[in-house]
Amino acid sequence: MDGAALYPARAPVSCLRSLTAERKHLPLIRFEDVALRYDAGPEILRQVSFHLEPGSFHFLAGPSGAGKSSLLKLMYLAQRPSGGRARLFGRDVTTLTRRETALMRRRIGVVFQDFRLLDHLTALENVALPLKVGGQREDKVQQHVAELLAWVGLADQIHAYPPTLSGGQQQRIAIARAVVARPSLLLADEPTGNVDDRIAVRLLYLFEELNKLGTTIVIATHNESLVSQFSHPVLFLSGGEVRMRAAPAAAGAGTGRAGGGSAA
Amino acid sequence: MLFRRTDLPLHRDPSGRFLPWLIALMVYLAALALVCAMAMGKMVERWDSGLSGSITVQVPPPETSAPGAQEAVIVKVVELLLDTEGVHSAEVLEADEIATLLEPWLGAGAAYGELPLPTLISVGVDPTAAPDYRDLAKRLARAAPGALLDDHQSWLGQLLDLARTIELVAALIVFLVGASAVAMVVFATRMGLAIHGRVIELLHLIGALDAYVAREFEIHALKLALRGGAFGLLLAIATVALIARLFERLESTLLPELTLSPIEWAALAALPLAISVVAMLTARFTVLGNLGRMP
Repeated sequence: MDGAALYPARAPVSCLRSLTAERKHLPLIRFEDVALRYDAGPEILRQVSFHLEPGSFHFLAGPSGAGKSSLLKLMYLAQRPSGGRARLFGRDVTTLTRRETALMRRRIGVVFQDFRLLDHLTALENVALPLKVGGQREDKVQQHVAELLAWVGLADQIHAYPPTLSGGQQQRIAIARAVVARPSLLLADEPTGNVDDRIAVRLLYLFEELNKLGTTIVIATHNESLVSQFSHPVLFLSGGEVRMRAAPAAAGAGTGRAGGGSAA
Repeated sequence: MLFRRTDLPLHRDPSGRFLPWLIALMVYLAALALVCAMAMGKMVERWDSGLSGSITVQVPPPETSAPGAQEAVIVKVVELLLDTEGVHSAEVLEADEIATLLEPWLGAGAAYGELPLPTLISVGVDPTAAPDYRDLAKRLARAAPGALLDDHQSWLGQLLDLARTIELVAALIVFLVGASAVAMVVFATRMGLAIHGRVIELLHLIGALDAYVAREFEIHALKLALRGGAFGLLLAIATVALIARLFERLESTLLPELTLSPIEWAALAALPLAISVVAMLTARFTVLGNLGRMP
C-alpha cells in the first residue's frame, strides 16, 4: 500500500491552508534558551535552542537519560518550559488556553515510549481514537483505520485487545494511532524499540511517506544503526543541551526530506 | 460500532456498583415523602370542603331528669338557629348516629346506655354569607346554658398546620435527597478522575477537550442514576400500593386516600428523571471544575 492510498486523496482546505502558511512563513517549532525542570528538581534541559522547518525530518538522539523524552514532552505540550521561549505553529506555548492547547495537540501525533494504549478498546478502536476525539464521523473512518492497521501488519488483529498482543504489535498500534489523523507534526519516542529490524525499517518508511505528504517528523531513538540507514539530520542531546548534526550519508534507502532545521 | 464504546472504562469502577443502589434508596425515600405530602394535602382538602358549609352545635345533657326538658331546649336552640341569617338548615343527630361517630373510640355499642351524651345539631350555613359565630355562640349560651358552637376552624387550622408541616418535611426530604445525590456523584466522579487519570491524560494529549472527557462521565452518571432511580420508584410504588390496600381494609374516614391523580403520577415519575439530570450535571461540572484546575 502506498501513502496516497493510506490517506484521503483530498485533505480539508483549512488544513492545507495552514500547512502552506507554516511552510511559507514560520518554523514549526522554535525553541530559544528553553529550560525544563520538574518541580524543585535539577534542570533536565537548559538553554535548548533550535528550530524545525515545516516538512522536515529529524532524529533526536543522545545517551540514555539525556532528556530526549522530556524534550518531546515539551513539543507535544505535556510539559511547559520552566525557562526560555517555546513556539509551536507560530504560537508561544505559554500563552495557550486549555482549548487552544487541545486543538493544537490534534495537529501533533505522538508515539509514546510505553505505547499508552487503552486496554479495554480493540486495536481498531485504539487507532480510531484521535479521529473520534476530533469529532469525525464513524462511517467515514472505519475503512481508513482498518487499512492503516493492515499497513502496519495487523490486519488479522484489528479486533484484538492490547493485552493479548506482543510488545511489537502494541507498538505498531501506537504508531498507527499517532499517524491516523494526518498530523502536521509527528513525534515518536523510541518507536522501533520493540520491533525487529525489518519492521523497524518498514515503520521508518511509513514515517517518510508521511513526511513526503508534509508532516514534520521528529523521532527519538538511540538506535544509531537505524539513524545511519536514513539520510536525515540529527538533533543530538547531551548534558541537557542540544546540537544539530548534519544528515549522515544514507547507508540504506532513506528518501525523506532532509534538513530544514538548525540548533544554536 | 467503532465509536460506541466509551473511552474511559467507567463501568468497571466501584461507583458503578454502589451508586445505583444509593440513588434507588434516595428516590424511594423521596417518592414516599412526596406521596405522603400529596395524600395529606388531599385529606385536608376533603375535610375542608366537607366542613366549610357546616357548623356543629353541641347541647349538653340536662342536669335535671325532668321528662321533656332536653327536647324543649333542643327545639328552642333549633328555632334560634333557623332564625339566624346565613343558616339554612339545622338537623339534630339521632342517638344511633352519635354512637356511630363514637364507635372508633369507644367500640360498638359502648355509647348506648348509661353514658350521658350531648345532643349534636348539624347546622348548614351559607359559606359565602356565614353568620357572626361569636354573636351566635352568645345567643346559644343564653338559650341553652353550656351549649357550644364548633365552626371546626380550630380543628381544621391544626390539621392544616399538620399538613403544611408534613409538606415541609417532604420538601426537606426531597432537597436532602437531591443534595445527597449531588454529594455521591461528586465523590464517585472524583474517584473516577483519580482512577482513570492516565487515560484522561492520554485523551488530552491526543486533543480531547475537557468537555469531551466530561461527556463520558455525565453519560455514565446519567445511566447509573436512571437505573437506580427507576428501581427506587418501582419499590416506592409497590410500598404505596401495599399501604393503600391496608387503608382500604380499615375503611376508616380518618385515614388519607392513597389514590393519585395523573398530575401526581407525573410528578412521581419525574423524580428519578430529575435526580438523573442532577447527577448528570453534577458529574459534568465536577469534571470540568477538576480538569480546569489542571495545568
